[in-house]
Amino acid sequence: MTADPSELKKVPELAGFKKNNPQYYDDPAIDQLMGIVLDLGAELWVMRDRQAMLEELLETKGSVTQEDLDKGRPSEALAGRLEQERQEFIRRVYGRLFAEYGGDKAEFSAVF
Amino acid sequence: MSAKIPAYDRGKIAGHYPALSNRQDEAYVDFIRDARNLLHHAQQKPITEYSMAILEAEKLPIDAGPQSVKTATDRLMKDNTLRNYYRVKRTYQESFWDRIETSFNRRRDDLLSDLAKAEETGPGSVEIDSDLKIPEYASSEIHLQPGGNMNEDLAGYIYDHGMMVFLGGIGNNDQAHKMFAFGAAEPEDGNIKRILDIGCGAGAMTMALKEKYPDAEVIGIDMSAPMVRYAHKRSLENGLDITFKQMPAEALDFEDGSFDLIVANLLFHELPVSVSKQVTREVHRLLRNGGVFHLFDFPGDKNKNAYAMFFVEMDGADNGEPFLPGFIRSNFEDIMLELGFEMHKNFDPNMIFFKGRPAVKKAA
Repeated sequence: MTADPSELKKVPELAGFKKNNPQYYDDPAIDQLMGIVLDLGAELWVMRDRQAMLEELLETKGSVTQEDLDKGRPSEALAGRLEQERQEFIRRVYGRLFAEYGGDKAEFSAVF
Repeated sequence: MSAKIPAYDRGKIAGHYPALSNRQDEAYVDFIRDARNLLHHAQQKPITEYSMAILEAEKLPIDAGPQSVKTATDRLMKDNTLRNYYRVKRTYQESFWDRIETSFNRRRDDLLSDLAKAEETGPGSVEIDSDLKIPEYASSEIHLQPGGNMNEDLAGYIYDHGMMVFLGGIGNNDQAHKMFAFGAAEPEDGNIKRILDIGCGAGAMTMALKEKYPDAEVIGIDMSAPMVRYAHKRSLENGLDITFKQMPAEALDFEDGSFDLIVANLLFHELPVSVSKQVTREVHRLLRNGGVFHLFDFPGDKNKNAYAMFFVEMDGADNGEPFLPGFIRSNFEDIMLELGFEMHKNFDPNMIFFKGRPAVKKAA
């Protein structure tokens, strides 16, 4: 069916049609920089995760292959330590974005 | 799951999601999921209090009327902490989808081949309507998902994995859908032989309904071919006999009075209200007298203030859900009454988020 046109008129302007366009700060360069800084954290974490897996494999097996690193996973014990380290890293580096109201100390929550 | 199935060459995670293609992608997405939990979900309560304090200190109106919401939006989005909040939310939303899409595309042919094989296999079946024309309102990239649900053959994989991140873990093992399905209201006579799940998406609710009512015929419909294909594949893996069909919810190709229970889970807030009304008329037609329509979706604006509606409007725009604010403002339970339903005895207007809007088709 055809929807009521008044409900559709905003759709082409919305996020899903114009990716990467929203501006929250006065200067769009700040939006761009924030995007880069947030993404760099995740990219740095990928390196940290790989390094930790490499260290674990060298310690337990004495050798490591590309396949181990690309397809494998850390042991359960290491995964648990990495999870804690990851959350501390996020809080330490990015919590300051919400320090104005104490949000840097907010409890971890998976409830949206 | 056997290592011979390419979709699971790195196994499953969180119960049923096919793992991403390599450890680097997985570590990246782990980071985004935790960052969203800490910098988005965990901030909701304190940032609500912080925002309300700003509005109250400046004596700005806090009712949910459109003008008050606009005033609140103009003021709050001048605040640097709120700008940080929405920037973080939007950036991570783009990041996790992009990486999930990239990762599944690394083994695109294998995943498509798995879907094609599943289409030929039972129990259960999937029917595609290759003549169906997708309407404009359904073409938005909902949640910013690349290609949306309609225009990407891997949409089921991408959606399902993305929802794992989006929901921060509460959807793992289909537990949220099972909770809703097991709370679905029933006709007074308890007779449930035929069930329809409209807008079934990846099929989690449909499967939970089949598990709850193993002897009933359960059918899931969705406008998206990639989603019903994926739903069938998941259902097949669980050994469930469910029929999935590609079909628009506003034109349901079933006989009048032929269902005992019809469920719509988180569909209506993705539709223009004018379409949701048509869907509801169709549901009314398909139910037998005394049959139940259980609508699971967000509550309306009756108990909301200016901040809550500001959040809804920001979410609609940032999350690619163009019809969310309109749905919230519709207080859809009122429309269900106008269209001939009466609310089920289990309906609780203060518990809509968890218990939905169960309604009964009155005898003519």
